[in-house]
Amino acid sequence: MALLEIENLSMNFGKLQALSGLDLTVSEGEILGLIGPNGAGKTTFFNLVTGTYRGSGGRIVFKGEDITHLATHKIAQRGIARSFQQTFLFAHATVLANVMMGCHIASAVGPVKELLHTKAAREMDTRARKTALEIIDFMGLTDLKDEPAGTLPHGHQRSLGVAIALACRPTLLLLDEPVTGMNPTESAEMVARIHQIREKGMTIVLVEHAMDVVMGVSDRIVVISLGSKIAEGRPEEIKTDPQVIEAYLGRRGTLDVA
Amino acid sequence: MSKIKPAVLAVVALVAITLPLYATPYMLQIATTTACFAMLGLAFGLGMRVGLPRLDIAAWWGVGGYATAVLMEHGVSFWLTIPAGGLISVIISFLVFSLALPRGMVAFFVFSMVIAMAFSQVFGSLSFLGGWGGITGVPSPTIFSFAFDTQNRIYYLGLLFVVVTIAVYLAFYHSRIGRAWDAITSSPRLAGSVGVDVVRYRMVNILVGSFFIAAAGSFYVIHYHAAIPSVFSFTAGVNTIAYLFIGGFTHSLAGPILGAFIVTFIPEYLQFAQTLRPIIIAAVVIFILMFLPAGLLGVWDNKIKPRLAARPPERRE
Repeated sequence: MALLEIENLSMNFGKLQALSGLDLTVSEGEILGLIGPNGAGKTTFFNLVTGTYRGSGGRIVFKGEDITHLATHKIAQRGIARSFQQTFLFAHATVLANVMMGCHIASAVGPVKELLHTKAAREMDTRARKTALEIIDFMGLTDLKDEPAGTLPHGHQRSLGVAIALACRPTLLLLDEPVTGMNPTESAEMVARIHQIREKGMTIVLVEHAMDVVMGVSDRIVVISLGSKIAEGRPEEIKTDPQVIEAYLGRRGTLDVA
Repeated sequence: MSKIKPAVLAVVALVAITLPLYATPYMLQIATTTACFAMLGLAFGLGMRVGLPRLDIAAWWGVGGYATAVLMEHGVSFWLTIPAGGLISVIISFLVFSLALPRGMVAFFVFSMVIAMAFSQVFGSLSFLGGWGGITGVPSPTIFSFAFDTQNRIYYLGLLFVVVTIAVYLAFYHSRIGRAWDAITSSPRLAGSVGVDVVRYRMVNILVGSFFIAAAGSFYVIHYHAAIPSVFSFTAGVNTIAYLFIGGFTHSLAGPILGAFIVTFIPEYLQFAQTLRPIIIAAVVIFILMFLPAGLLGVWDNKIKPRLAARPPERRE
C-alpha cells in the first residue's frame, strides 16, 4: 500500500528548476533509497515533503490525505519526521532534553495542566523522559545523555538527529545523509539501526551519498538527476543501469566513489 | 551552586522586604519605580525566550497606564483596571502580531517598532486622554477600607506585582510550553520539524508579555498618580534592552531585574548628570557589550561560579 504518493512535484528557485515533475511512491514498510548527483534535488524533495518549502506545482499525498499545503508542524503531527543534512540540534540543551523535545507532540496534556504542573503533566513528563531514554539507549547515546548536544562528536550528533526524529514516533522517517561523516564502525551501526527501525513498523526514505550503505540497506532505489527521476528499481538493477552510470559518470566519475 | 543560589535569593528577598525600614522616602520611591521597569525588562526577557526582541513594550505599558487612569476617573476599582488594560493590550497585540509573526523577523521588528511609536503619539493627541499634559490626580487603590496611600504600601504592592510576574513566568518556563519556547530560540526549523507550531507558541509568549507590560503600566500610574504621554515613549520600551544586556541576557529573570535596578538607581544619584542620563546608559551598555558580553551575571557564571565549583570540598560528583 502506498504511504506517500508524490505526483508531478516541481520546485523552482528563480530560474533554477530544482525539481521538475517528480513522480514517486513510497510503500508502507519499505526502505527507499533516494540517490542522485549533487544538486539533483534530493534535499529539496525532503524540504517539500516536510513543508519547509512550498512547491511550485504538484501534489503530496500522505496516508491518503493531501498535505501539499500544510505547515511543517502539522505535517510532523501527521507522522512524518526527518533528520537534517546539516546538523540541526538544540545545541545548549543536553542530549536527553533534545530527545525529549522530539516527544513534544505526544506529550501534550493541555496548557492549563502544563502551567499548573498538575499530576497529569508530571506523569506525562515522566513518560516522555522514559521514552526519550529508551530512544537514547537504542541510538547508543546513553553515556552522553547529560552532555550538551553541541559538544558531541560529529557522528554522535548525527545519531542524535535521528533520535530526535524517532521521538516524534513517526510513520514515515526521512533520513538525510545519516552516515555522512561517520567512521566505518559508526556507519555499520547506523545501518543496523535503520533495519531495526523498519522492524518497529516505520517506513524510511533515505538520502545518502555513501553508495555501499544505500545499496546495502535499501529495498528499492530511486535515482533522480536534475530534478527528475531517471531510474527506479532494486539495488542490483540500479547498479547496472546505463542511465544511472551515465548520470554519475558525467559528473563525479564512478558509482563506487559517488 | 546548589547552596549559593538560594542564599543569594534569600538575601535579595530580605533586603527587598526590609527596605522601607532604612530607606529614605526618595530611595523608596525609586525602588518602586524600579519594580515597574523590572516588569518591563522581564517582559523583554520573556520575548527573548522565543528569539523575539520586542520593541513594542512602550505601547502596552501606555495602554495599561491609560486604561487605569481613565477607568479610575470614572470610578472603576483599580483591581478591575488591571485586567481591562491587560485585555486591551492582548487583543491589539494579537491583531498586530497575527500579521507580523508569519512574515519573519524584519516584519516583526517593523511592526513592533511602529506600534510603539504610533501609540506614544496617540496618547498625546487624544483629548479624552488629557492630551500631552496627560491625566493627573489618579487616586490610590483600595481594598475594602485599606488604602495603598503611603509610600511603603505602594512599594510593597509593587513588590507583589513583580513577584506575581516572576511566578507566572516561571510556571511557563518550567512547563512543556517553556521547553517549546527554548526549542524555538535554539532552532526554529528543528522545532517545527518535531511538531512545534512556531508562530502559535511565539504568539502565546507575546500575549503573556503584553498582559504583564500593561499591568506594569497600571501600577506606574497609581504610583505617580498620573498618566503622562512622555513616560510611555518609545525610549522607555527600548531601555528594556539595556536592562537585559547589563544584567545578563542568559538570565531571563534575574538579568532584567538587576539591569533595571542599575539603570534606574545609578543615574538618580548622579544628580548633576540628569540630562546626560541617556548618554550614561548608552555608555554603560557599550562598555558591557565590549568587556562583559554576557552581562554582569555573566561574570558570576563564567568567573566566580567555576572557581567556587573547583574548590575540592564542594566539588559536585
